[in-house]
Amino acid sequence: MKKLFTIIVLLVSTQYAIAQEEIPKISVSFTNVDVSRALEMIENKTDYKFYYLDEWLENVKVTGDFQDTQVSLILDDLFKNTVLNFYISDDQKIFLLQNNQIYDSLPDDFFGEQEDQLSDEEIGYEQLKDLGPLFVNSNDGANRGLEVVKIGRENRNNRRRTFTLSGKIVNAKGQPIPDLALIIKGKDIGTSTNASGNYTVELPVGENIIETRGLGIQDSRTKVILYNDGVFNFQLDESVEVLDEVVVQANRDRNVEAALTGVTLIEVEKIKNIPLVLGERDILKAAVTLPGITTAGEGAAGFNVRGGRTDQNLILLDNGVIYNPSHFFGIFSAINPFSTGSAEIYKGNIPAEYGGRLSSVFDITTKDGNTEKFAGEASIGPVTSNIVLEAPIVKDKSALLVGGRATYSDWILRSLDDEQLNNSTASFFDVVAKYNHTINENNEIKATGYFSRDAFSITSDSIFDYSNRLVSLKWDHKFSEKTTGSLILSNSEYKFGIEFDGESNDDFDLGYKNNETEVKIKMKYLHSDKHKFDYGISSKLYVVDPGDIVPLGAQSDVSSLTIPQERGLESAVFISDSYKVNDKLLIDMGLRFSFYAALGASSQRIYQDNAPLNSGTFVETQEFDKNEVIETYGGPEVRLSARYFIKPDLSVKASLNNAYQYIHTLSNNTTVSPTDTWKLSDLNIEPQEAYQASLGLYKNFEGNKYELSVEGYYKQQKNLLDYKVGAQLLLNEAIETEVLQGDGKAYGVEFLLKKSEGKLNGWLGYTYSRSFVKLDSEFNEERVNNGDFFPSNFDKPHDISVVANYKFTRRFSASANFVYQTGRPVTFPIGSFSFNNSEFVFYSDRNKFRIPDYYRLDLSFNMEGNHKIKKFAHSFWSFSIYNVLGRNNPYSVFFVTQDGDIKAFQSSIFSIPVPTITYNFKF
Amino acid sequence: MKLLKKHFCFLVVISIVLLFIGCVEEFIPRAGEFNDILVVEATVTNEMKHHKIYLNRTYSFEDEIALAETNAQVMILEDSNNQHMFEESEPGVYTSINAFNVVPGANYQLKITMKDGSSFSSDKMTLPQGSAIDSLYTERIVNDFGEEGMGIYVDNTNAQEGSKNFRYEYIETYKVIAPDWNSVALVNVPQPVCPMVIKAGREREERVCYTSKSSNGIILTSTDNFDENRVQRFLVRFIDRSNYILSHRYSILVKQYAQSNAAHSFYEALKEFSSSESLFSETQPGFLEGNLHSDSDRNKQVLGYFDVSTVSEKRIYFDYEDYFPGEELPPYADPCQRAAPKVAAGHSSEPRCILPVLVEMDLIRYVTDNSSYTGPQSEGGPFITVPRVCGDCTVLGSTEIPTFWEE
Repeated sequence: MKKLFTIIVLLVSTQYAIAQEEIPKISVSFTNVDVSRALEMIENKTDYKFYYLDEWLENVKVTGDFQDTQVSLILDDLFKNTVLNFYISDDQKIFLLQNNQIYDSLPDDFFGEQEDQLSDEEIGYEQLKDLGPLFVNSNDGANRGLEVVKIGRENRNNRRRTFTLSGKIVNAKGQPIPDLALIIKGKDIGTSTNASGNYTVELPVGENIIETRGLGIQDSRTKVILYNDGVFNFQLDESVEVLDEVVVQANRDRNVEAALTGVTLIEVEKIKNIPLVLGERDILKAAVTLPGITTAGEGAAGFNVRGGRTDQNLILLDNGVIYNPSHFFGIFSAINPFSTGSAEIYKGNIPAEYGGRLSSVFDITTKDGNTEKFAGEASIGPVTSNIVLEAPIVKDKSALLVGGRATYSDWILRSLDDEQLNNSTASFFDVVAKYNHTINENNEIKATGYFSRDAFSITSDSIFDYSNRLVSLKWDHKFSEKTTGSLILSNSEYKFGIEFDGESNDDFDLGYKNNETEVKIKMKYLHSDKHKFDYGISSKLYVVDPGDIVPLGAQSDVSSLTIPQERGLESAVFISDSYKVNDKLLIDMGLRFSFYAALGASSQRIYQDNAPLNSGTFVETQEFDKNEVIETYGGPEVRLSARYFIKPDLSVKASLNNAYQYIHTLSNNTTVSPTDTWKLSDLNIEPQEAYQASLGLYKNFEGNKYELSVEGYYKQQKNLLDYKVGAQLLLNEAIETEVLQGDGKAYGVEFLLKKSEGKLNGWLGYTYSRSFVKLDSEFNEERVNNGDFFPSNFDKPHDISVVANYKFTRRFSASANFVYQTGRPVTFPIGSFSFNNSEFVFYSDRNKFRIPDYYRLDLSFNMEGNHKIKKFAHSFWSFSIYNVLGRNNPYSVFFVTQDGDIKAFQSSIFSIPVPTITYNFKF
Repeated sequence: MKLLKKHFCFLVVISIVLLFIGCVEEFIPRAGEFNDILVVEATVTNEMKHHKIYLNRTYSFEDEIALAETNAQVMILEDSNNQHMFEESEPGVYTSINAFNVVPGANYQLKITMKDGSSFSSDKMTLPQGSAIDSLYTERIVNDFGEEGMGIYVDNTNAQEGSKNFRYEYIETYKVIAPDWNSVALVNVPQPVCPMVIKAGREREERVCYTSKSSNGIILTSTDNFDENRVQRFLVRFIDRSNYILSHRYSILVKQYAQSNAAHSFYEALKEFSSSESLFSETQPGFLEGNLHSDSDRNKQVLGYFDVSTVSEKRIYFDYEDYFPGEELPPYADPCQRAAPKVAAGHSSEPRCILPVLVEMDLIRYVTDNSSYTGPQSEGGPFITVPRVCGDCTVLGSTEIPTFWEE
C-alpha cells in the first residue's frame, strides 16, 4: 500500500447533497455559440463563477432556449454530447471536469473497504460492492508514460460495473487490421478484431491497459480510462518486417477463452516458414500438421478430420463451397496462399450457421485488397509461379485483389527427351479475384470469384481434367449498434471429364458436373453483456449431372448416354446464443434445423422390401415431375458447447453436437480420386448422420507464451456410404445396387503444446485416434467383414507432428517439420488361386493389415531480404528439403497378375529427399 | 547464370519425374495369415460336350501350385429336375459323365459336396443370348504405346436384346524353325578319363515344331454403352513384331463367351484387382464374392464363379511374309551365342570334363567344326556349338503337326 493515489474526489464535508431549490432558475437562449460564451452569459445572470480549461471547450458549439430553468439543468443539456461533467460548490463556484465526476460524499463503505481495494495491484471491479468514485493509479511504474485515453462521460447515477468499448483498428494506410488480438493486461479479458478491423469488448469501469498483438503489427499498449460506453478507434503501425513465428496461432487467449471445442485458426503469414515440398506455401498442408486432421497419405487428396471421411468437410472460400481443393492429386492445394487471409477450421463443435457436412468446416477467407495503394506479392518456385496484385479502385473505399497461379510442368514435359513423358500432360492453374467496397460505415460489399482447373494424362490415350468454379457475394449491413446482418449469395460448380482416344471403336468423352447455389442470411444481435445471438436462414439448391458420355470421332461406336440430373434443396434455420452465465461459465447454445428435399424430375427405382438392392429385386420405376418432392429428410442439429474457467488461465470445455449430410462422394478408391462423383440423397440413399461429444482442458502458461490443450472426442456416424467390392460407380444408373450404407464410430485424444514466442517457437501435436466402419446386412452381398466393425482406410492410431522454427537473426531462420504416423490399414492378398489358366491373389477381409509406419523430416532455411524501408520490393528466399531422411514411405501396395504370375509392388510418392528453392517478393 | 539455369532445370525435371513416376518397386510379400478356401472354376456352355469343372484350394505365396480338391460330389441341376452328374477324371478335374449342352430358358445350379460333408451351391443361372463371332482378322499396327506388331481383332453384331458382355479366350499355335538346326549330332564315346565326343547322324526331327499356348489374362469387352450391340475392332491380342512366335506361320483360335451381367462384373472385378493401376489411386480390394455360397455357414468363404454362357469360336492363320514381306525375321527365342567348349580343363589326373558333360546333359547343338582347333592346347574345343534351343525346336514345342493345322 505504498502507492500514491491522486484522488479526484473533493471531500466537501459541509453538506451532504445539493438541494435543488438552492440553485437559481434563469431564462437564457443560445444559438450556435461557443460554450465559453454561453457560460459567460450564465455567469452574467447569476453569481456563479465557472472554472475550466479553455482547451476542453474548443470548437464546442451549443444551441438552446431555456425559460426559468435551473442552472444545473441548463448545464446538463449543454454538456450532454460532451465528456464534460460539472460540480457546483457551495460558494457559487462551478467546476467543469473532463470525464470525471465529482463526488461530494464517499460511498457508505468507503473506509471499511479501503484496505481491500487498494491492496490489490489493480482496482478490480470485482471487489467493488457498490460503485463509488473512480480512482486512477497514476504511479504505476511499468505503465508510466503510456498514452492515456479517457473514454465516455462519467455518470453519477451509473450502477453498471462494465461498459462496452468498441472501435476500429487500422494500419497506417487506413486498411482495417483483422484478427488482431486485444488483451486487457492483468484481467482475463480479450477479444480480437473482425475482418473489418472492428472490435467490441466489455471492460470493467476504470483503468484498463489494452495491449494489442498481431503479426506484422507493432505491439501497442494504451491506458484507457473508461467512464462509460464508448468508441476508441486507433491506428497501429506495421512492424518493419514480418519475421515472426511460424504458425497457427489462435488469438492469444482463445485457447482458454472461447467456448467452442476443436477450433483452429491458421494465418497464412505465419506458415511461410514451414518447410514445403516443391516450393508451395500451403494452408491446407499446414492444417494437416495439427491434431485431428490427416490425409490418407502423400498424394492423397482430401482430409480426414477426427475419423471422418473425406466427403465430410465443408471447404468454404469466402462462403462458397470448393469441392476439390487440390491440384495434382493433392500434392498442391488449389487455394492460392498469397490471396488467402486466414482459415478457421472447426473440427469439434461446428457453429450453428454451418451445416451439410459431418466432420468439419474449413472457413477460408480471402484477404481484402489494399484500398490505399497498389501492392503485390509473387513467388517463383520450381514447379509453379504465383502472383497476387492488389489495387485500390476508389481510394479508401474499395479495392480489387487478383491472384493467379500456374504450373509450367507442361512446358517442361514437352522439352523432355523421354517419349512417354513428353506426350504426357500435367497442368493446373487457379485464379481468384476479390472486390471489397465499403459503401459507408453501415454497409460493406465483398465479391469473390474463383476458378481452378487441372488437366493431366496418365496414359497416352486419355486426358483427365477437373475444375472448380465459384462466385460469392456478401453484403454486410449494420442495422444498429447491436444488430448487424449479412446477406450471402454463392454459387459453385465442380466438374470433371475424361477424354479417351484409343485404337478401338470405343473413343469417348465423359463428363460429370455438380452445381450448388446458396442464399444465406445471418444476423448478429448483441443483446446484452450476457447474451449474444446469431441467427439466420439458408437455402441451397443442388443440381448434379451424374455423368454423360458421348462418342469421340466418327469411328466411335460409343452411344451417347446421360444419367438423369439429380436435384435437391437443403434448407436450414439456425439460432445460437452465446450466454455468459457468469464470469467463469460461458455456454454457446446453438440449434439448427435442417431440411432436405430430393426434387424431380427423376425416375426412382423401387426394390422389393426386405431384399438386397440388385437387378433381381428391382420392382418398378417411379416417375417424378419437375420440382416434385421425391423424399424428404431432416431434423434438428444440436450445437452445444460450454467453457468453464477453473483458474484464469485454465479452462475446461465440453461440447455435444450432431449433423446431417445429404450429399455423398462415390468412390471405389481407398483414397480420393479426381473421378469421384458426388451423389445426392434420394429414395434409396439416406443422409449420413453424425453425433459427437468432446471434452477438453486448456491451459496457458507464462502469460500465454505456452498453450496446452488436451481434447478427447467420441463420434458415432450412421448411413456412411460405402461400396461393394468391385463396384462400378461411374455412369451407373442404378448406383444404389453398388453401394452400402453402414455405421461408423471414431474416438480419440488430441494433445497440442504450442510456443508462440521467442527465438524457438513451434508446436508439438500428438493424437491417438481410431476410426471404424461397420457394413452389416442380413444379405451376404451387402456385408463386409462378416458385418463386424473394421478399421477405416484412414485409421492411423498414433500421429505425432512437430513443427519448430528457430530465428537466428531477424533475417535468417530455420525450420523443421517432423511427422510420424502409424501406417494406414490396407487389404492384403493372403493367398493365391488358379483360375482361368492364370494365377490370382485373393484378399483378406477389408483393412486387416497395415502398410509400414510413415515418418518424414523436412527442413528449411529462410532468408529475408534487407529491411531498408525505401526499396522496391521485399524479398524472401526459402530453401527447403522435403523428406531429408529419404524414407521410402509406402503409399500403397498392389498385386498384379503379369503373364499368369503374381507380382507385388509398393508405390511411394517422394522416396528421396526433394530439395526446393523458392523466391518470393512483395511490393 | 547459365549454371543457375541448368540447376534450375535439373530441379524441375526431377520434381516432375517424381510426380509422374513416383517410385514403384517390386517386393516379395511376406507370408502372413492364410485362408485355405475352395476355388471353383466352372463354365458350361451351349456346346454339346463333356463339360469340365475344376475344384482347387487356394495356396499360400510360398507354395507354387494349387492343390486339387479331390473326392467331391459335383452335379448341375437343370430346372430342379434334370441332373448332370460329374466324376473326377483327374485330381481336381470333374468331367460330366454324359455330354450335354445348356439350353436357353432353363435354370442351372451347381451343387458341390466336399469329402468332409460340407456343401456349396451356386445361384441359379440362365443362358444369356449370344451370337457368333462375325469376323476375326489381323492387321499390322502400331499400338497406343508406339510398339509395332500384329493386332488380332474381333467384330461381331448381336441382337439388341442379347447379352452385351463378352469374354474372350484364345489358343495360339505357331510354327517354330530352329535357326541353327544341323543334321549332325554329337555323341559321347566312353573313355577312361573324359568321354570322347564324336559326330553322328541325327535320328529325330528337331527342325520344325508347333507350339500351342492358351491365353492367361482376362479379356473382356462390353457394348453396354454403345448405340448398337456391336463389337467392332476389338483387340483380342497384340503381338510385338520382335516376338519370335510371328516368325513363320501363326494361327489363333479365339473363343467368345457371351456372359450375363453378373458374370461380367465378377470377371471385371477380378481383372481390376490384378492389373496395374495408377500410382495415385488404389481400387478398394476385398474378398470377391462370386455366385457360390456355403449351404450351412454364411461366413464360410468360397471363391470362383459358376458361369453359364454362349460360346462361339473362330480360327485364322497368317504368315510373317504376308505382313512383313522381305523384312528381317524377329529375333529367335534365344540369342544363339556360338561357342567352342573345350573338351576338358585342368592338367591333373582328374581333369574337369566340359564338352562331354554338355553333350551328356543335352545342352548344346553342333553347328560346324572349329577351324582354329589344333589339339588339346587350343583356346577352344573342336566344335562350334549353340545352346540346344537354337538347333532343337522341341525345347519350345512339338514336332507333331496339329490336326487342325493348315499350311
